[in-house]
Formats: sequence, C-alpha cells, structure tokens
Amino acid sequence: MNKELIMRRRQLLATGAIGAGALTMPRMAWAQSDGPIMLGTLTPLTGVGGTYGPSMRDAVAGVVDSVNAAGGVLGRQIELVSEDTQTNPEAAVRAARKLVDVDEVSAIIGTWASSVTTAVAPVAWEGGTMVFTVSGSDTITELPHDGYIIRTQPNSRLQIDVAGDFMIAQGGGKLAWIGPQTPFAQSSIDILGDIAGENGASMDSLIYEADRTSYRSEVDQIMTGDPDFLMLGGYAADSTVLLRDLYQAGYEGKIIGPAYAINASVLDALPAEVLEGLFTWEGTPDVGSGAYARVQEILGVDVVDPYSAQTYDHANLAILAIAAAGSAAGSDMRMSVRSISQGDGEAVDNAVDGLAILAGGGSVNYNGASGPCDFTDIGDITGTQFLFKQITNGEAVDFETV
Amino acid sequence: MELIPQLLVNGVLYGSLLALPAIGFTMIFAVLRFPNFAVASIATLGAFAGWVANVPMGLPILLAVVAAFVIAGIVGVLTDDLVLRPMRPHGALTTAIASIALTVVLENIIRFGFGNDLRGYDLPIVRDWRFLDIRVGPQQFENLVLACLIMVILFVFLRYGRFGKAMRAVADNPQLAALKGIPSGTVTRLAMFIAMGLVGVGGILQGLGTAIDPLTGFRFILSIFAAAVVGGLGSIPGAVLGAFVVGIGQELSLVVLDPTYKSAVGFLAILVVLIFRPEGLLGEKRQ
Repeated sequence: MNKELIMRRRQLLATGAIGAGALTMPRMAWAQSDGPIMLGTLTPLTGVGGTYGPSMRDAVAGVVDSVNAAGGVLGRQIELVSEDTQTNPEAAVRAARKLVDVDEVSAIIGTWASSVTTAVAPVAWEGGTMVFTVSGSDTITELPHDGYIIRTQPNSRLQIDVAGDFMIAQGGGKLAWIGPQTPFAQSSIDILGDIAGENGASMDSLIYEADRTSYRSEVDQIMTGDPDFLMLGGYAADSTVLLRDLYQAGYEGKIIGPAYAINASVLDALPAEVLEGLFTWEGTPDVGSGAYARVQEILGVDVVDPYSAQTYDHANLAILAIAAAGSAAGSDMRMSVRSISQGDGEAVDNAVDGLAILAGGGSVNYNGASGPCDFTDIGDITGTQFLFKQITNGEAVDFETV
Repeated sequence: MELIPQLLVNGVLYGSLLALPAIGFTMIFAVLRFPNFAVASIATLGAFAGWVANVPMGLPILLAVVAAFVIAGIVGVLTDDLVLRPMRPHGALTTAIASIALTVVLENIIRFGFGNDLRGYDLPIVRDWRFLDIRVGPQQFENLVLACLIMVILFVFLRYGRFGKAMRAVADNPQLAALKGIPSGTVTRLAMFIAMGLVGVGGILQGLGTAIDPLTGFRFILSIFAAAVVGGLGSIPGAVLGAFVVGIGQELSLVVLDPTYKSAVGFLAILVVLIFRPEGLLGEKRQ
C-alpha cells in the first residue's frame, strides 16, 4: 500500500516536472526567436572601478544604437540592459543572474575586475550566455568555460612579463611587488620573481589587505628589503594611499603601476611631487584606427580609455557573431565568434559594415578600437601593444611603446 | 623584530584616528541602546563636507574640520529623527538593521553628488620626521594632537558640564531622568549631534592622511565597531582604550601575520573580549 502511494507520488512529481518543463520551454524558445535580441552590460558603475564603468557602458550603447538605426541584426532590433557590478563579486553575481534568468541576454559585456569576472562567468556559461570581459587574470580563461569567455585585455602573465622586462631594462636590481589580495596577486609575484631570477635581480613581495585607510606599516615592511624598483598591484583607491605612504616614508626608488590603478583620479588626488617619475603601463588601444575615432565620437572625448575601446569591440563582436551564427543563442555565438574576429574575411571595424558583408554572403575579419581582436582557443587575445608612460609634473607623458 | 617600535608608533597614530568615531558610536549606544552603523556614511559625509570647505571654498583645514563636525552632526540628527526614531519601538536589532540600510542610502547619495573619483585635500604632502629609526608623519602627528584635544574638550564637557550629567542620567534611566525634569528628547538629539559630529571629524582626519571617496567611512567601520566593543559599548573612556588596543593590535600583528589578515585582528579582539570580559575592558556589568 505504502509502496503504491510512493510510486503514485513519484509519478505525480514526474508528471508535474514534465508539465512544468513543457510550459517553460516554449516560452524560452519564443523569447529567443522573437522580439528584440537582448544584450547586457555588466560594468563597474560604482566601487573602485566606477571611474571606467559608465563610459564602458556608453560605448556599447553607441554600437547598439548604430546597428538598430541600420535595421538591427537577423531582422530584429537589439535591446540593451545595463547593470552595475559595484566592483563587487557578490553584487555582480546577483546582477548577472538577473541578466541571464530574467532578461535572457545573449551576452554579458564589460566585466572589469578579475574577481568579478571569476564569479560571474559560471553563472553565464551555465545559462548559455557569452561573456566578453576586460579582466586580466590568467585564471579566467583557464576556467572550464567551454568557449563562452572572450577576453580583449592582455592576460596578467603577458602584462607582468612586459612590465618586468621594462623594470630590468630601466636598471632595476632589487625588484619588489606590493598589492592587495586579488586573483592575479600570486601569479604576478611568481612571474616577476622568475624575471628577477633570470636577470640576477633580487625579488621581494607583500600582499596587503584591500580597503585599508593606511599602509604605513606595510610600507615599513617592504622597505626593510631596500628595493630599488617597486611594482604596484592594486587599484586606484589603495594605490593612492600607498603612494602617499611611500613618499612620506622617504622611498627614493622607482615605481611602476598599471594605468588602471594610476588613473586620472589618482593624478588629481595626489600632488605632483608624490607622483614624479612614476611609470605606468597598459595595453594600448589602436589610436589611429577608424574604430577608435568612432568611440571618440560616441563618448565625445579626445582620449578613449582602453576599457571603453574594448567594450566597443565587445558589442561589435557579439553582434557580428550573432549574424554569423544566424542565432542569438550564446551556445551558437561561441562557435561563430572566431569566424568574424580573425581569418581571411574582409577587414571591417564596425558591426554595421560587417553585417552588410555577411548579408551579402561574404566573410569578415573584425579589427577594432582596442586592436586586431584575434583570439586563442581559450579566449585570450593574441598580439597587442603596450604603452609605457611616465608621470612628469603631474601629467602622464608617453615614454615608450612595446 | 626591529620593526616593532615603528609598528607601535603606527598603531598609536591609527588608534587616535579610530578613537573619535568610536566615541561617537559608543555615545549613541550609551543613550539609545542600539549600534548605529550609519556612522560609516556619516564619516564619509564629514570627509566630503570638509573637502567642500577646504578645496572648492578654499578654507583652512581647521575650519574644514569644524564644517565636518557641524554637517555630520546635523545630518546625523535629521536622519535619526526621520529614519531611526520610528524604528526604535521595534527593538534594537530592527533599528540596527535600519541603520545599515540608512548607511547604504547615504553612501549612494554622496556618490550621486560627488561621483566615484578620489579627492584629495589642499594640503602639502611632506616627508616624515625621523627620530632615531622611527618615522612620524607631520600630518599624522597633527591629527593625533587634534584628536587628543577634541577628546579632552569632550571629556571636560561631559564630566563637568550640565549636559554631560543630563546625558548620563538619560543613559542610566530615561524614565527617572524624565521625572526629574530632564528633557530626554533634547538630550538625545544633542548627544546624537555631538556623536555624529565626532564621527564626521574622524572621517575628515582619516581623509587628510589619504584621499576620500564614497567608501571612505565604510573602510574603517569594522575597526570602529571593534574598538567600541573591546572598550565596552557605552563607555567613552572604553572606546578610546579600545581604539588604541585595536589600532596597535592591527599594526603589531604584522610581526606574526600576513598583512592580508589585518582586519581579522579586530574581530579576534572582539572574540577574546566577549569570551573573557563580555562587558568590554571598561564597560559596566549589566544586571
């Protein structure tokens, strides 16, 4: 008797589950094949990345507007939904769930901090959604993402390699790395340590806690090794505190920091003498390109930051991938994205031109505002330029390009 | 090991910055019996009020500190009247949760008005003084002196002034104080004004040594909370002692711990105190 009841209950549950599935599936299929194609931006509108997020979002909106004005893609208009990561993994995951589950976006564009992208990526690939990111940590493209991640930012290995060689070339003999706990902290230390070892330099490191209001004691600790070239590994807020503490402590050696950490707000917040001689480096956008000029126009600025240039490319790549796949499903886009980003197709620098060529049966090779936009099998960018700058009288002046 | 004297000095300097907001936090607890986490955003507000006075208006730092005190105090009283007072009949926990919501709202209002960019005060940054092998920043030293001065004035005001006695009476027994003709509403508002004013001054002093953004107060709320709990919630001398214990403890921890775990020291201090002396170092046992 009891067994029978249990069997009936199981049958009921199974029937219910199938019924619920049947009710849901047509709706999902309907949502993906009719109405506007949904794209999502997930940029840091607030938090330490808040300096970049708004213009990153606006660059994407500019691309969407131009494609919609030209008739859309696959005969459908594109609708853009923008969410804020708050530069915080927990907030970003909540926003990503909304983009994937509620808005059913085809792609999430513009995750910035590596910790955010690491947290958001599984939500996206489990929901069959592409992620276009500007995060640098090596570990991101090493995730089992099955093709769902495309990264336009040089990975941290490449960044540290280039900067480490620069430090040695500039005469660094006692290198040190100091920065907060991030997904790329330890790998940065390891890579810089290898470069130091290969060149007979010494290497010291210190990982501090992010979001402190003073790093006086950390500075005292790193200075016990008497370094002559320091690499900063943090973001703008903690780097400001750290640079101030280093100056006050009487540090006389050289300093290099990523340009996203030593950004315009840091130059405004600190007096020129604290920053004098400091080096920055960044993957540089393709400044002379037509795509770069278009981002300048969209944002109404003379100098486009590297992240807005990259999200402009993300939007173009996503739209062209949808057109090439003939589908707005992330699972199809991940297969088609390399067919429009690299190869022998006709070179284009915007989605509107590319869509016209694809509609005529041609193939395209997208080269964007951030560079050639060619990707490895795991989604890393290949081939990019780095620009080193030096702060002189409070201004970042071009030093060299490698 | 040779770093220990320097770490001690750094700890004292950091503790002095924690002391003022910790006093504010504990004063509010003494009178109203709830932990007001809105101090995080009020500290940020004080830092921004001081910045407006110092940079766009070109006022000297001392006047900027006064502006931080007044604006933080006024906003503290207004937000308490409008948001937290209606919550108080529902209990301390409800009010504390409402104060967390309030701090998020205030933080975002500041963000809306000023954006996310870092802002620095109009102050020269100078190299530290060196005594033997120990370095002390002139600005940090000025902050220490200013914080100590404010603490002395506050102590005298509360210990010997009529308001101090009235505040202690309301804190001990509001009903009895009311029977004695002490206007508890006025006393509460004045206590809130002074407490939030101190929190605002803590915010600007913190900012003078670094730079400010909408998360300035949030970054040291955990240390403020730890200082108040370690010293004994409701005890003003306790908050000062707790601030120095937490400040020195966090800096000295670098001798044995990775800097990544610095904040854990504050929580460890709370844990140890709650296990062995739940009322805090200088707190009074409750019946």
